[in-house]
Amino acid sequence: MGKQYEIPLGAQHISLLEPLHFKFTTENEKIISTDANVYYVHRGIEEACCTKFKFRQVSFVVGRVCGLCSISHSTAYSQVAEKLVNIEAPLRAKYLRMLVIELDRIHSHLLCLSHVAENAGFEALFMKTMQYREFSMEMLEAVCGNRIQYDFSIVGGVARDLKAEVAGMILQRLKTFLPQLDELVDIFQNNWTLSLKNKGAGAITREAAMRLNVVGPFARAAGLAIDVRNETEDLLPWKEVGFEMVTDTTGDVYARNMVRLRELYISIRIIRNIIASLPESALVTETKAFPDGEAVVRLEAPRGELFYYAKGNKTQMLERLKIKAPTFSNVAAMVEAFTGNEYGSAPAIIASYDPCLSCTSR
Amino acid sequence: MKTFFKAIGNLFRKPVTIAYPEVKTYIPNDYRGLIGFDENLCIWCRRCEMVCPPGAIVFSQDMKGKQTYHFNRAVCIYCAECVRACPKEGAIYQTNEPAGFALKEENINNGWNSLFDEAIKSRAAYAAEKKRLAAEKAQTEKPGKSIAPGDEAASAENEK
Ligand code: SF4
Ligand code: SF4
Repeated sequence: MGKQYEIPLGAQHISLLEPLHFKFTTENEKIISTDANVYYVHRGIEEACCTKFKFRQVSFVVGRVCGLCSISHSTAYSQVAEKLVNIEAPLRAKYLRMLVIELDRIHSHLLCLSHVAENAGFEALFMKTMQYREFSMEMLEAVCGNRIQYDFSIVGGVARDLKAEVAGMILQRLKTFLPQLDELVDIFQNNWTLSLKNKGAGAITREAAMRLNVVGPFARAAGLAIDVRNETEDLLPWKEVGFEMVTDTTGDVYARNMVRLRELYISIRIIRNIIASLPESALVTETKAFPDGEAVVRLEAPRGELFYYAKGNKTQMLERLKIKAPTFSNVAAMVEAFTGNEYGSAPAIIASYDPCLSCTSR
Repeated sequence: MKTFFKAIGNLFRKPVTIAYPEVKTYIPNDYRGLIGFDENLCIWCRRCEMVCPPGAIVFSQDMKGKQTYHFNRAVCIYCAECVRACPKEGAIYQTNEPAGFALKEENINNGWNSLFDEAIKSRAAYAAEKKRLAAEKAQTEKPGKSIAPGDEAASAENEK
């Protein structure tokens, strides 16, 4: 056995955008074990939601849990609150929620892919991916009125309608985006230098993924077919708009890139279907009721399953709100997937997990 | 190899970046910007203040009962919840004008916090005064019945 070294990475590190700390034990460049610490940014949001904000205001608060999947959080909360006050969002609102969730998935996945490229040392691809991503940000701004904090889902429905000219603009921009996406797939698939850092790195087996409860593209890349969009139909009718499961087998960084890229095609299809078949109805279901009882909601955020639990006691304030973010479920597997890899591959592996620590520690 | 030739070819192509301040980026015309207020239409129901998630709106009140609207663009999250809650169309509305930055002189954080507290207090004071006047009136009409002392703390709590 050679000499072992402990190398820390994070909580502030040049290749890590997130306040995440890994302590690697390495032996001749090979990582043999890893420790993770994820709780650097606790903001007390759950407590604030139960003491400072009325239940209708909470959907704006949880929208600020995460900058990337703001819409997933506010939609999941809106749904759980709708369950507590016993209403159902109108069909048009559901479709519009799905539209924004999918647009958000496009920008989130492209961001992750660009970071994988950057952390693997491929700056030009990082720039290119970010350039192509810009359209999704602009479309989100056109739909929601803001680039990051959408404030789109409110308890009972959605805040804004989709204007016909915006719908037309989305379709047109998707048309220009498709060849760009093909180009990205080509680079991620066939570029030799990138494959050195991606193929076989950070691999996790299907069994390990199942044992460690992995969610999201991380799990799907390992061949585990789990996607909330495939499982629940009551809250958002995913299958109606053309959802399809995307999986891969190898479970390495390359497979995760491919799963994300292929999911973008599904997202594009879903967006097109939604715009083509947007039902006419009201945008918000009004109610004067106060939240009562308990409810849970699951929703597929770009990073995996997002889980909300809420409990009401017939007052304006919730009694309890619990958020479980997808990255939290993945921490155990993240630690495991490093084992046996070169220390030099670690940044690209971390980026391919797509960790979101502001969701995880809140 | 393909990427390599492409990279060489890129040397002779036009830049993909835009010359930002001269060429404007895309901003939709219903961008969520500053909140406007029309004093003449408002019915002073304070519903906008009640729904506002971060507390960016507050109404103060003078001793004659006249209310004044205060808005802090640095606290506002531009969610338009106030616009949706307002029963009087046009009294409060969203423009597409982005919020400007704040100067140090404005004291936009601490100044706002004290303004907020004072506004709440001014309303409590008005409510207490009104109660006192009502009690006085009741006493002159029905002499003999004792008045409850105007409890400022209690009414301040009610106000919140
Ligand atoms: S837009 Fe939202 S944050 Fe701003 S004043 Fe209105 S309710 Fe408050
Ligand atoms: S909700 Fe409308 S009418 Fe009521 S106080 Fe606010 S601006 Fe005035």
